Amino acid sequence: MSEVDMAVIKPEMMKSYIWLQTADGSIQQVEQEVAMFCPMICHEVIQKGMGSSKNYAISLPQRVNPAMLSLILDYCRFHQVPGRSNKERKSFDEKFIRMDTKRLCELTSAADSLQLKPLVDLTSRALARIIEGKSPEEIREIFHLPDDLTEEEKLEPLKNTTDDPRIRLLNRLYAKKRKELKERQKLKNIEVEEERVDDRSVDDLLSFINGDNGDSKGIKNSKSKKKNRRRKDQQKNTSANEAIKNHNKEPNGLNQVCHSAEVGQKVRAGVGATSNLHDVEDDIFDNKNELDDGDIDDEIDPALKEKIDRYCSYELRKSSKLTVSNEVTMEVEDFARRLNSDWPERMQEILSFGHERKPVHFSLNGNGSLRRYANSEQR
Amino acid sequence: MSIVIKQREPSRLPSKTDAEFDRISNLPGHVIDQILSRLPIRDAVRSSVLSRKWRYKWAKIPCLVFDNHCLNFSSQDQSFIKNKLVNIIDHVLLLHNGPIHKFKLSHRDLLGVTDIDRWILCISRSSIKEVVLEIWKGQRYKPPSCLFNCQNLVHLELFNCLLEPPLMFKGFKNLKSLDLQHITITQDVFEKLVSSCPSLERLTLMNFTGVTHLVIDAPNLQFFDIGGIFEDVSFLNTVHLSYVSIGLYVNIDNEENDAQDNSSKLLRFFVNLPHIRRLEIQSYFLKYLAMGYVPSRLPNLCVDLNHLSIRIDFDDLEENTAALCLLRSCPNLLELEMLARPEEQSSMERSTNFWEEDHWSSLFAHLRLVKVSGISGVKSEMDFIKFLLSNSPVLEQLTVKPASQEGEWELMKELLRFRRASIYAEVIYLDP
Repeated sequence: MSEVDMAVIKPEMMKSYIWLQTADGSIQQVEQEVAMFCPMICHEVIQKGMGSSKNYAISLPQRVNPAMLSLILDYCRFHQVPGRSNKERKSFDEKFIRMDTKRLCELTSAADSLQLKPLVDLTSRALARIIEGKSPEEIREIFHLPDDLTEEEKLEPLKNTTDDPRIRLLNRLYAKKRKELKERQKLKNIEVEEERVDDRSVDDLLSFINGDNGDSKGIKNSKSKKKNRRRKDQQKNTSANEAIKNHNKEPNGLNQVCHSAEVGQKVRAGVGATSNLHDVEDDIFDNKNELDDGDIDDEIDPALKEKIDRYCSYELRKSSKLTVSNEVTMEVEDFARRLNSDWPERMQEILSFGHERKPVHFSLNGNGSLRRYANSEQR
Repeated sequence: MSIVIKQREPSRLPSKTDAEFDRISNLPGHVIDQILSRLPIRDAVRSSVLSRKWRYKWAKIPCLVFDNHCLNFSSQDQSFIKNKLVNIIDHVLLLHNGPIHKFKLSHRDLLGVTDIDRWILCISRSSIKEVVLEIWKGQRYKPPSCLFNCQNLVHLELFNCLLEPPLMFKGFKNLKSLDLQHITITQDVFEKLVSSCPSLERLTLMNFTGVTHLVIDAPNLQFFDIGGIFEDVSFLNTVHLSYVSIGLYVNIDNEENDAQDNSSKLLRFFVNLPHIRRLEIQSYFLKYLAMGYVPSRLPNLCVDLNHLSIRIDFDDLEENTAALCLLRSCPNLLELEMLARPEEQSSMERSTNFWEEDHWSSLFAHLRLVKVSGISGVKSEMDFIKFLLSNSPVLEQLTVKPASQEGEWELMKELLRFRRASIYAEVIYLDP
């Protein structure tokens, strides 16, 4: 222990303490000069007179848990001593900041809530050093970030980053995979369908599977029209978004439901759409920021919605990992076969968003058989 | 019967355990801005592919720095690099979404003038506070007039530019720091620029063309650093100026100026620097100060002057006189640095006995640290050191660094002999 530390500890009886309470309810007392190093605590003491006794302990923000509080107090205890040289402070900081990333993030959050700017600066610098120079995969690994962007989205922001050899390689890889998938689709299909980029929304997709007659024209929508639909579909697709985020992988229910189908041209369109489902994702996840906790479309029955979402999320998740399996393809085909164009009117009303094509949906029950959705029935 | 105790293994369920929780994405916006701002722009923008939440976090960072680290490859093809760079900056500015507070452009291959105009227009719409523009190649770049509309500017740094503000320009109300290097600016524009920035605290001016008489009218100026070729410098209304570093890069011909007015440059220089704390006289500026009448001591002592650094030719009588005047005028001097200027020509009035004489009525009462460099062991230099050592009672360290190895031994032998007024004095000899 250095002399300075000794000097701080000796006249302990004479010092005043501040009482702090963390979000979990535990109360502790801290030397006044140490605690007052934090602007937030300082403010509480001076402006509101809190912290003088156990009953009036200062409630710390929720982001400060006891472990973080102890770290922060260590930091304050060192730095509040005036006599230290810059070199000493720097070397303390360097040692202090050596901790795992998880704690570093927690510490940043806690320090920010206590308005302790120097510590926030220190931790942000450390986090920046961790991030710098690493590949996205590495960063995701370190911080446990979900890899939930599609390939197109990844490329969107700066197209010229395709010059980066890694991204070029990734692109080639993705292109290769896509090609493989297409090959697989072709093997299944008897007729060869004209390839095209399919970025229709979810309900279009489902209507294709259904085999609606008006679809062949509707496949090739003009861009402008698609935009309108996107906006209207936004609400509905939000829940798909949600589903993807929170969904536990339980394809089993859907597996039962999806039967293989062979429905001719329309199905292939549907199937072709499946393999290009990441484009659909693009549609769905168009207005990313605003989609966060989207409004659920009140008109659609929630249970039905949930099933649709599970279907979508299952499909989309599968395709976003570019692993559309043969089984899925078969399921979709079978499924499409089972469905026919005899949709209940109500469903059509509910799901039409004001454009010419008739969107269609289906209802699935637990045991996997298709059930027509009658007006009077509610799940 | 054996009892098998199975160790509890960490959970491998797909649901996230505590350790796998994403803690960084939900940090407050300003903290994420801080983290991303500390990354090179390339890494910051690439964070957009990390995850959904990170897609547009980079677009909010308030500071954009485009320097040599932007492009991670170099190539001989100028136009290729230029196009890449222009492309990148265009994209970033276009996709950026939020206020930009700092913009720095400093790539060694940057040339395209119209591109830079466009970018400056873009940032001028965005309440920019700091602009750093370093044009490494090509002619002096003339910033567009929209730069002069940025009333939120706090720091402006230009390198290799031509300044021609529009006629309507009324100054930067909030500008605190101005750094102009290798610039072309006319006399009027410069004076107007300085005087119309009332908040100006720091002014750096290096290698300028077009200004011969520096008139500094800045009531809040604290830091002044210039180096270049000029004829005159005068401070008006600079009460707070505490750090001054001046370098005159051209040798003044003393004979020419004898015929002209005898007014004391030295007196004029110091009359408006009452609170000066650090002074650096570089290159030939001491010669400039020595022009005209040099008093034995300044009428108003520089009581706050703690650090003094002078580049001097120890053989020049006038320079020595001026230096002595200065040394007598700062009673509270703590650190002194004398840098010997290698003599280029033998001047007419060589004085080799200047420092031998007893000039001192009072001592260097507080002088602690002295550095003498670039000497070659000639008599006048050694006399000065001897004089210094015997007149500084609290001296702690004298560092001597010769210009070359020639005559090292003689120098050291002499140093050894000198009497020291301070018992604590260390004389440190550094290799050249």
